[in-house]
Amino acid sequence: MEPQEQTHGSSDGDDCSVSGFDSAEKVIMKWDATASEEAREKMIFTDPQEVKLYLHAVDEIQRYVSSSPGEDLESRASSAIQIAMARLEDEFRNILVSHSSPINSDSLMSSSSHAEVEEDNNNNEEEDNNNNQEEETDLLKRTGSSSSSGSATTVRLPTGRGSYSRSTSSIREIELIPIDAVVYLSWIARRMVSAGYLRECIQVYGSVRKSAVDSSFRRLGIEKLSIGDVQRLNWEALEQKIRRWIRAAKVCVRVVFASEKLLCEHVFESVGAVNIHEACFMETVKGPAIQLFNFAEAISISRRSPEKLFKILDLHDALIELLPDIESVFDLKSSDSIRVQAAEILSRLAEAARGILSEFENAVLREPSRVPVPGGTIHPLTRYVMNYISLISEYRPTLVDLIMSKPSRNATDTNAPEMDFSEVENKGPLALHLIWIILILQFNLEGKSKYYRDAALSHLFVMNNVHYIVQKIKGSTELREMIGDLYLRKLTGKFRQAATYYQRAAWVKVLYCLRDEGLRTKGSFASGVSRSALRERFKSFNALFEEVHRVQSQWLVPDSQLREELKISILEKLSPAYRSFLGRFRSHIESGKHPENYIKITVEELETEVLDLFEGLTATQQHQRRRSE
Amino acid sequence: MLLSFRRDQVDSNAASHNNNMEAELDSFQRQVAEKFTDLNASSSGDDLLSLEWIGKLLDSFLCCQEEFRAIVFNHRSQISASSSPTNRLVSDYFERSIKALDVCNAIRDGVEQIRQWQKLSDIVISALDSRRANVGEGQLRRAKKALVDLAIGMLDEKDSTRLAHRNRSFGRAKDGHNRSMGQHLRSLSWSVSRSWSASKQLQALASNLTTPRQNDVGLAVPVYTMTSVLLFVMWVLVAAIPCQDRGLQVSFFVPRQFRWAAPVMSLHDKIVEESKRRDRKNCCGLLKEIGRIEKSSRVMNELIDSIHFPMSEEKESEVKQRVEELVEVHEALKNGLDPFERKVREVFHRIVRSRTESLDSLC
Repeated sequence: MEPQEQTHGSSDGDDCSVSGFDSAEKVIMKWDATASEEAREKMIFTDPQEVKLYLHAVDEIQRYVSSSPGEDLESRASSAIQIAMARLEDEFRNILVSHSSPINSDSLMSSSSHAEVEEDNNNNEEEDNNNNQEEETDLLKRTGSSSSSGSATTVRLPTGRGSYSRSTSSIREIELIPIDAVVYLSWIARRMVSAGYLRECIQVYGSVRKSAVDSSFRRLGIEKLSIGDVQRLNWEALEQKIRRWIRAAKVCVRVVFASEKLLCEHVFESVGAVNIHEACFMETVKGPAIQLFNFAEAISISRRSPEKLFKILDLHDALIELLPDIESVFDLKSSDSIRVQAAEILSRLAEAARGILSEFENAVLREPSRVPVPGGTIHPLTRYVMNYISLISEYRPTLVDLIMSKPSRNATDTNAPEMDFSEVENKGPLALHLIWIILILQFNLEGKSKYYRDAALSHLFVMNNVHYIVQKIKGSTELREMIGDLYLRKLTGKFRQAATYYQRAAWVKVLYCLRDEGLRTKGSFASGVSRSALRERFKSFNALFEEVHRVQSQWLVPDSQLREELKISILEKLSPAYRSFLGRFRSHIESGKHPENYIKITVEELETEVLDLFEGLTATQQHQRRRSE
Repeated sequence: MLLSFRRDQVDSNAASHNNNMEAELDSFQRQVAEKFTDLNASSSGDDLLSLEWIGKLLDSFLCCQEEFRAIVFNHRSQISASSSPTNRLVSDYFERSIKALDVCNAIRDGVEQIRQWQKLSDIVISALDSRRANVGEGQLRRAKKALVDLAIGMLDEKDSTRLAHRNRSFGRAKDGHNRSMGQHLRSLSWSVSRSWSASKQLQALASNLTTPRQNDVGLAVPVYTMTSVLLFVMWVLVAAIPCQDRGLQVSFFVPRQFRWAAPVMSLHDKIVEESKRRDRKNCCGLLKEIGRIEKSSRVMNELIDSIHFPMSEEKESEVKQRVEELVEVHEALKNGLDPFERKVREVFHRIVRSRTESLDSLC
């Protein structure tokens, strides 16, 4: 129960009122820390009785001060007030300090620690899946578009969305200081303000509470990193810090700052018309808030490179989500700069995302590796790019809002594909970018295919890679929706065409051996067959077929279905051709010497041999296979 | 015929292009020289290192930065070849500019600290405001308390180890908690890590800055110019505003061959002079307004110590006078700090924007 200020109007006359003053003055002097040891050692606000007496005394003196009591009393009164205010200031500080432990880490982390554990589990899974990516991302690094780390460590593409904390989803004020302490604080504040000691009050409050906020920050793992520090860290370390920051920022804005604001309101609510609690709040949190956002700002300024995209989007999303709460907590004019900084960071992150996408596209276009992938299989670049754009499609909701412009092609760059978006008019910019990326990937792959000495292999390579692209698109509903069926059909046509080119290049010579013309001798009605020509044919066929078999068993078509289809398609031409060739001409050979030198395999054996193709077998493996047959 | 016509055209384009470039670079040198000559001219006495003057310095920086940005933009094709020396020069500049960004952030902290002093002086003014009531003993004690806190708060942080001793000599009560301790603790809780050092940032900014030769072609001269301007501006900020591990020992020297060298070196020398003055040697910031607050508050402190009650009229009028002086400084800070902080922030933004743009063309 607050000690009530008594109304003056007592009928006791001057003597009593003066003695009222005297006894009040006495109480105040008793507690003058500069005058007595005892006053220094004890605190008033540990004893409710003393509190009552003291505050009553202060109120009494204050009444004298404001009622112009005459010079002598005035001077004593103002002196007493000063002593009282100094004392109250110390009491105020003492109460604050003894209750300002940093926020209980349980209440800070309880809901978020669960998500933390979840996330760490997710990360472990992904690590196994991403071992392929080491090669792939090294490729992009060579184009010079990599981050500054230059390390050989695996750059993992991050996991999908939602891996940051789902906790602290809204403002949640907690009790920072027990209610009875708050009451005491508000009693003191009222006296200090009405005596004109507002500034001192704010200073004490601000300095103690700011320390408390700083401690909470340390508990949340918020570090004091400079922009230079952030530049120097490698991206993997930064990713972790970003994750941690996102979790911490939510707690800071929604719990720490919101609670401080509420505390200010409670302590200063009965104090006066001036918005003192706002000044106290800013005194407490301005510095920490700026420190908090400095990290996000540093990230938004850092050098751009493709692997950073998704964490930057995570950061962007987290900030957008926090923005309404930031606006609500920092709704004062004096906190303009904080809101402005948050908005600036958001816009820089968006810019960074756009810039990174651009850089990624450049990197894909210019990826310069010339070493042909053995066996014509899927190029690491293909894998990386397709994984990357699958991830982009997962971030579609965010990116759709950020990517505003269509992909642009440097007009002077002759080494890039043409862009014709006339057929895809009603697609948004993001989808156009994805299509463009696939276009330039293909373009780059076409270039790489030229480095194969064997034309058939270069077609196989194109087939494999475009097929992979198609499979990846089909495998993701988001991606498929954005790329669209029209484009998908084009790509499908592309790899089928490559398959056809492959077959032509690889098998035309073999099949040529099995043709009719040139075998029959000219002349009489009963056309004969030139046995020597026939023998040559068989010999060529055998040699060529063996060569094809030997070489192309080392080639690889990773996709099992495609592999089977290709083999079947080959057999569809080869088998009947051989069968009919044999049928027509075997008698001629068998009627001559050493037929076994010419007819070396049966149709069934031929078919079996074809099954060896595209298995990526090495020479020794082939040899071993043969021996076991 | 057609071929030779084209070739001529290309040649004249190249020639005019070169002329344009030369004109551009020359204009840049001229602009820098003009700005700093102006600054040098307006740097007499109390103006040098005042909030207003530093504000002008920052404005000049922004102008130079804009022109530099345009030059880089116009030469981006030259820059984009990743092995070209121009590319190295420009990316080097932007690496250095990161140090400047950190300095800008640290300066923000420093401004906040000055605001704390401003608030303390506000208490003094409020206590001694004789318009409301006669200044009595109570008010004097109140003012004294704030003045002591102010004095402690303005100690150079290197003196912090002597704080406890100082504390006692100021006649403070023995209780460990006092506002000034809180304030001092505040100065230890900069938003930068403990190992961050303003003087190291300056040294890093200045490291390996090689002077280009007079006839160096390409962007060597403008990059050197802009780097020097950047370094100088950051050096001034660190000199003027409190920050962690202030130190002005970084060697800064520009050879006379550059048009802007004379005014810049003149300013540099004046500031170094200022830092060596006896009364400013150990201060926490060379900002003129800091000096004025320090002086006013010290004088006021001494005055209060010399007052015995009842106060003579003479003393009363002296108090009034000192309060007016303090009010002047306080007002100057109150009006000047916010715009100044905004300007520093603007510098931050422009450097970032310029860096982002250029880095994009660097790849």
